[in-house]
Amino acid sequence: MIEFFDVTKEYNNQTALRNITFSIEKGEMVFVTGTSGSGKTTLLKLIYLAEKPDKGEISVAGWETEKLKESSIPLLRRNVGIVFQDFRLLNNRNVFENVALVLRIRNMNEKDIRTKVYHSLKTVNLRHKSDSVPEALSGGEQQRVVIARAIVAEPTLLLADEPTGNLDVDTAAGIMRIFNEINAKGTTVLIATHNRELFKNTGRRVLRLDSGNLVGEEAE
Amino acid sequence: MTVPYSLRLSLQRLFGEIWINLLSILTIAAGLFIVSLSFIPVYNLDVVAKKLPDKFSMIVYLDNSLNRNDINQVVNSLKKNKEVNSIRYISKDEALKELKSTLRDSTFIFEGLDENPLPDSLEIKLRRDAVDPNAVREFSEKAARIDGITEINYGEKFLSTIYYLKVGLQTLGTIFIIIMSAGIIFVCYSTVKILFYRRKEEIETFKLLGASKGFIRTPFLIEGAFIGGSGGTLSLIGIYLFSYIVFFRLADKVPIFKSVAIPENLFLSLPLVGILLGITGAVIALGRLKY
Repeated sequence: MIEFFDVTKEYNNQTALRNITFSIEKGEMVFVTGTSGSGKTTLLKLIYLAEKPDKGEISVAGWETEKLKESSIPLLRRNVGIVFQDFRLLNNRNVFENVALVLRIRNMNEKDIRTKVYHSLKTVNLRHKSDSVPEALSGGEQQRVVIARAIVAEPTLLLADEPTGNLDVDTAAGIMRIFNEINAKGTTVLIATHNRELFKNTGRRVLRLDSGNLVGEEAE
Repeated sequence: MTVPYSLRLSLQRLFGEIWINLLSILTIAAGLFIVSLSFIPVYNLDVVAKKLPDKFSMIVYLDNSLNRNDINQVVNSLKKNKEVNSIRYISKDEALKELKSTLRDSTFIFEGLDENPLPDSLEIKLRRDAVDPNAVREFSEKAARIDGITEINYGEKFLSTIYYLKVGLQTLGTIFIIIMSAGIIFVCYSTVKILFYRRKEEIETFKLLGASKGFIRTPFLIEGAFIGGSGGTLSLIGIYLFSYIVFFRLADKVPIFKSVAIPENLFLSLPLVGILLGITGAVIALGRLKY
């Protein structure tokens, strides 16, 4: 599903990722961990093409990103559900419209949009908040809206950047439960987190980053 | 479907940012109104200039010594020129009759006139495409060389004045229209650019969620078209109100207004012109979207 070969990314001569090589199989659930600034977010951005590598090759869901035409980037992104660290919820739309946006981009008809959005909101237990605006929700609820938006189009790959950021333990556990359910249905999941508790004793593979270097890759 | 959603999105944005959009609409309306207004004199002069070839005639005065045969020879020589459409012979008696008829209120001019002082003449009508100052002058110079022609009169100054006025006004009008159009495009450009920057974060999210360029652009193009089209419609209403008040209601007091022609069909295209300028402004404002 994801392949990195000797990938390097620099920002203003500062190396964010250095010679990274790894691969993730279809249906896997993998964690990327490391301290702040270790390159976790950059790694995810390279996957959904918000950034381009300075060196190396990346393949995502069968697409070789360096050969991808600009007009094909939206097509790749439609295969990827993203849980952004900063949520990226639109406050001028209610929860329903925020989630529905992903489907509207795909030109889906209104009836299917309603069915899928309500199903997705039900999955994250927010069906009753569909008319609320994101600003009126708690941090945990906003996080769940972002997850609902990420899974509504049933992507083949789900990327989550610090999905439990500042959430309490119970809410974080609830969110991890949702990710496990999604993964159980066959979606490949890649979670970037600094919170060791999320992957401790899960038996999942963990990629460890330190100052842009991949320093470890083992199962917990 | 993209279009209805884009339409809904642009309507939400248009009413969400009502003041900036209203201001843009009014600015465009004022711009198009001024362009339309300045177009009226250009259009009227053009109408006059177009009618001119039908009214235009050249008078060729003939030598008094010519007999009927000689006159026929002159007519034949003139007819050889491709510029000539028709020739009418006016005898000196006929000319005097016409002059007396024209000056019937000033008959004293003819008192004591024993002999007809007017020469025989030919009235030449030229083909429509030959009626421009240079062609007429060239033809007149050619005609003057024909034996038996003593003088040629065709209101050279009047003809030149009308034509150069027409060309001048057309050039000025074109420059003015280009400047105003650029101004209107700039207003649409600025409005869409401001709206675009205000929604930069939203657009970035759209892109990250897989939106195509068309999905992002369409609402802005609809907004540009709506702003331009509304401005055009307002200017159309304005120009009709203006025409009604000035050229219809005031026509009794200012008689010259009665003869002013209004290019109505052209003005009816103002909303369309507005839409095109609006879309152009929006396209320039959006530029090349990058992922």
